[in-house]
Amino acid sequence: MKFLFTIHHEEKTLDDMPAEELQRLVDAALDYSEDIRRSGHYIASNALQRARTARTIRVRDGKVSVTDGPFAETKEQLGGFFLIEARDMDEACALAARFPPARIGTIEVRPVHELRHS
Amino acid sequence: MRYICLVYLVEKDMEAMTRSEADQCTEESLAYDEALRTTGHLVAAHALQPVEAATTIRVRHGKLSMTDGPFAETKEQLGGFLLIEARDLNDALQVAGRIPMARRGSIEVRPIKEIMR
Repeated sequence: MKFLFTIHHEEKTLDDMPAEELQRLVDAALDYSEDIRRSGHYIASNALQRARTARTIRVRDGKVSVTDGPFAETKEQLGGFFLIEARDMDEACALAARFPPARIGTIEVRPVHELRHS
Repeated sequence: MRYICLVYLVEKDMEAMTRSEADQCTEESLAYDEALRTTGHLVAAHALQPVEAATTIRVRHGKLSMTDGPFAETKEQLGGFLLIEARDLNDALQVAGRIPMARRGSIEVRPIKEIMR
């Protein structure tokens, strides 16, 4: 079963972090990715550029509108994600809890909905 | 360059669709995934279960907290995502504008950030 972890944090927390501390967190996150790759849980993950780099797109009555910025302004911002394979929600949550940036941010764990042809 | 396309929609509207509308939506999405696979844009794409299926996790001072439900209660919800490989932002926006759900919801397109040791 597949799960998506979305990682939310205040971008300012990272901006305010001393460079060395930030690098230690990045290294720990990369070690974590490597660990869950070895254990067969890893499918894909990426950090994201800042929310201000986002564009938001809607199509209504065939007309495309593109606006600068994220879909919603929030106190914490989406900073990255993991797509993983786990037995069940409990295993997925246990994996998410080990992700080092869970100390400064929030991780939402959500099961994937497999789309099937009707 | 990789981009994530986050699909936001109103879950209630999706649940209110008739069976045949929902099936059509699914077929369009699967067909678009297939088209993006053919053009080499697709890295991964998934719909998500409703937000009520989410668990939210924080670790503070070594203590783990887990709460049921999504990170934030919002009017529209993250309903799925497409992770794509695109030439540049313009190419990514072209891909995002053709996502079938762009007609019903909103797509946030964000470049990924390479992190390294």
